Amino acid sequence: MKQIKKIGYLVLFAFFFIGCDKETTVPQEEETTQEEGTTPRGAYDLGILITNEGPFQTGSGSVSYISEDYQTVNQNIYNAVNGENLGNIVQSMSFYGDLAYIVVNNSNRIVVVNRYTFEKIAVIESDLEQPRYLTIVNNKGYVSNWGDPFIDTDDFIAVIDLDTNIVTQSIPVDFGPEKMVVASQKLYVAHQGGFGFNNKISVINTINNVLTTTITVGDVPNSLTVFGDDLLVLCGGKPAWADSETAGSLVAVDLTTNTISQSLDFPTITDHPTSMSRENSDMYYVLNNNVYKMDIAAGVLPQNPIITNVSFYAMTIHNQKLYGTDAGDFQSNGFLNVYDLSTNALLENLEVGIIPNGVYFNEQE
Amino acid sequence: MKIQFSIIWLGVLFSIGKNYAQLDSIQKLDEVILTDVKLSDFSDGYKQQKLKDSVLLITSNTLTDILRFTSPIYFKEQGSGMVSSVSFRGTNASQTAVIWNGISINSVLTGQTDFNTLLPQGYDDVRIRFGGGSVQYGSGAVGGSVHLTNNIQFKKTNKQTLTVGYGSYDLLKSSFKSIFANQNSYLDVGIAFDHSDNDFTILKTGTKNNNGSYVRLSSFLNTGITYKNQTISFYTNYYYGNKNLASSLTTVSKDGYTDKNTRALLQHTYSASKWKATTRLAHLYEQYAYFPDTEKPLFFSGNAQTYIGSLNFNYHLSKKIKLNVLNEINYIKAGGTNIKRANRKTWASVLIWNHRLSKKLKYGINLRKEFLNNFKNPLLLAFDAAYLFTKKSSLFFNVSKNYRVPTFNDLYWLEGGNPNLQPETSYQGEIGTTFTYNNIGFGITTYYIKSKNLIKWVPQSNGIWQPLNISETKNYGGEFTLNYRKKIGDTHVLDGAIQYGFTKAIDLEKNKQLIYVPTHKVTGNITYTYKKIGALFQILKNGRVYTTTDNKESLAGYWVLNSQINYTIFKKQLLGLRVSNMLNTYYENVAFRPMANRNFQLFLNLTI
Repeated sequence: MKQIKKIGYLVLFAFFFIGCDKETTVPQEEETTQEEGTTPRGAYDLGILITNEGPFQTGSGSVSYISEDYQTVNQNIYNAVNGENLGNIVQSMSFYGDLAYIVVNNSNRIVVVNRYTFEKIAVIESDLEQPRYLTIVNNKGYVSNWGDPFIDTDDFIAVIDLDTNIVTQSIPVDFGPEKMVVASQKLYVAHQGGFGFNNKISVINTINNVLTTTITVGDVPNSLTVFGDDLLVLCGGKPAWADSETAGSLVAVDLTTNTISQSLDFPTITDHPTSMSRENSDMYYVLNNNVYKMDIAAGVLPQNPIITNVSFYAMTIHNQKLYGTDAGDFQSNGFLNVYDLSTNALLENLEVGIIPNGVYFNEQE
Repeated sequence: MKIQFSIIWLGVLFSIGKNYAQLDSIQKLDEVILTDVKLSDFSDGYKQQKLKDSVLLITSNTLTDILRFTSPIYFKEQGSGMVSSVSFRGTNASQTAVIWNGISINSVLTGQTDFNTLLPQGYDDVRIRFGGGSVQYGSGAVGGSVHLTNNIQFKKTNKQTLTVGYGSYDLLKSSFKSIFANQNSYLDVGIAFDHSDNDFTILKTGTKNNNGSYVRLSSFLNTGITYKNQTISFYTNYYYGNKNLASSLTTVSKDGYTDKNTRALLQHTYSASKWKATTRLAHLYEQYAYFPDTEKPLFFSGNAQTYIGSLNFNYHLSKKIKLNVLNEINYIKAGGTNIKRANRKTWASVLIWNHRLSKKLKYGINLRKEFLNNFKNPLLLAFDAAYLFTKKSSLFFNVSKNYRVPTFNDLYWLEGGNPNLQPETSYQGEIGTTFTYNNIGFGITTYYIKSKNLIKWVPQSNGIWQPLNISETKNYGGEFTLNYRKKIGDTHVLDGAIQYGFTKAIDLEKNKQLIYVPTHKVTGNITYTYKKIGALFQILKNGRVYTTTDNKESLAGYWVLNSQINYTIFKKQLLGLRVSNMLNTYYENVAFRPMANRNFQLFLNLTI
């Protein structure tokens, strides 16, 4: 009986899969430059990839795959394809051409895979220490590294030659480098401050790999985006358990002068916004378990949230959909929540891996 | 070699007779000074297990090694020789009390004892008391308690014992103990030491276990004098451990850990014909230092001092009724790199009533109330009873309310500590039976534990992890024991013991089994002696454990076999070989943390 039931479900899903595909194609997806007749480049093409940190202390992080129509979810795809684990604390992933670079923090390695098939291509292990994020400029990978997390003076940006996968240079920077963005050949590095707190943005000229300047922004800059002539930096402020708690702020840095052009402070000292994500001129962030949407041009912090009572560990906006990960109790599988931003309604709640911390999209470029 | 562990059901089978035979002449009991009267006299309706095999005390590196293979208690070891936390009847690591000469020695910082810091050579008597014991032993005795006791005996003795062992992975161990005693004074002094590089080849990967070396040192001195109705005794124990924390399969670790403990207890006893007064003063010190990179000077440390003063009054109201009144003051101060300096005072009053209704039926009622500290202290109650059907079969029963106070880490950890925490509480009941038939002893017991206000660290919206009294669990299960002893002629002795534990520990929010609690655990021990030769065979089956709270990921169960053989040279000198993990099984006790392969240990025990 049970088996028949199971097969029944499979058939149902198969039908659902086909039936839904036509109906639920949202207009935004049609706008993407999807060429007609393109065949998928691998089992994981045209879908969503989730990086999962994996359990604390021991164990391995993983990557989950979700098909575009949300009907198929495959857990731990790297292990399924390669028969081995990624390593301890999968921190982030970056795409470059057909490749994905998976940064594994506590195992001090970057695993290079084909982003569509997830077959392992290389592992970069030398000259990294507590790597966090990777950004690609001019066929070079720039990796933020904490160094020894208990030492504030050994943090660096490793420069990887992506043809040889060798770290060719190490640029010392202020402590606690995390996320990075590129604007006109310059790399902007946000310094959240590792286990402590920092308030800096490093600017590195990628032509000669020289640190040109360091900009002081608000406390704990946690997310970055380039918009027009500005770099927007969302600063979380120092949390309650810091020596002195500070309110978060949204800082605009003029990219030509590398100076602060505008700064909006959050009203209350307990306001610690995170997870800024931008689509066109709309900016989204999470504050006190609510999601806010801000029109950047208006230049005013919004008063009312668009979605309330969420528990996001990471949030990304993509094609008018909001993807928020919920890590639950951090000791079991987390979930990906998908919201339709035209209605702010929850579309999907999909189980992913343990401590999901990033949402990535495998699509036509 | 005697049987490794014999199950005794106190108040049942032999001890009813024993206790009452001595009732009239309590002052003469003091041939052995009792430090843990509650265990011997006031635990009738509880299951107890006593370690009897002296050879295991020599060959086992730590108490984890002994109890893992001989009891239903489950140990969660973070790799071979690393931190070993305990789960007793599915309760958490802070819910097993470790009692040293009647005093709880669980860390006030973590609430638990790392069983890999307890070197068995320092104790004369190792016992397990199953079930709730908070009324008698205070915070933490929820799943059960493990009792380490030093016996001071006023009997002419002059004995020196030296043990040396050498084994795989550069294991080197040694212990020495001297006892000098006569009719009115006693002194023992000793030291135990072990070191291992612990760099076994991991069977799964072919690489060596990295950063796993450790050194442990324990020294002890116990002394006492007796004069007429009075005895004074003094117990001390010092421990120093320095271990690196081994890499897991997915990480390369460089960190290490040192810890120091000192324990001192001064006890004075005055005995009269119908009563006995015991005054105790104790001091406990604990200190740890964690080094994120052992080659760098940076470390994080913490320490705690505990001062205990108690007055215990033991009164025989009649031949059938014993009454015990205990008042205890406890003062703790602690602090550290990440722990806000704080202190706690507690006054505890305990009343224990023990009544023999008939030759067959005994019961006890226990009450405990604490004052002074900052918690809403519940009134703790326990009731136990034992009924003897025949001399060879019995029934025992207990119900109790128990608790576990928040640790100093829970309350004062910088970045999250929550000073508003309240104690964890639990209600439990147990019923068991035991009988013997010829050479076979058989016991079965079943229990139920409902716990609430369990402290769990959870992430808050502001990014902080904070401990909260939010978790609820129910645990139920049973334990089954079979003992067998057979003497063939004068020269052959066969001893066997099998234990099976069935444990369900359910998180009531998720309705899932708690992580790292095996539903099934089996241990078996067989010893065989023939003239001067002794052989021991140990078997452990550890069932599957879940590693995630949704029970979607788990670690496979495993079988581990050990054996040892020893030969008596001259009269008392013992030479032997132990083979641990004989079948060279690859297993992980905690996910991604491999345990040691087959390994050997050669040992020599000299006694003069």
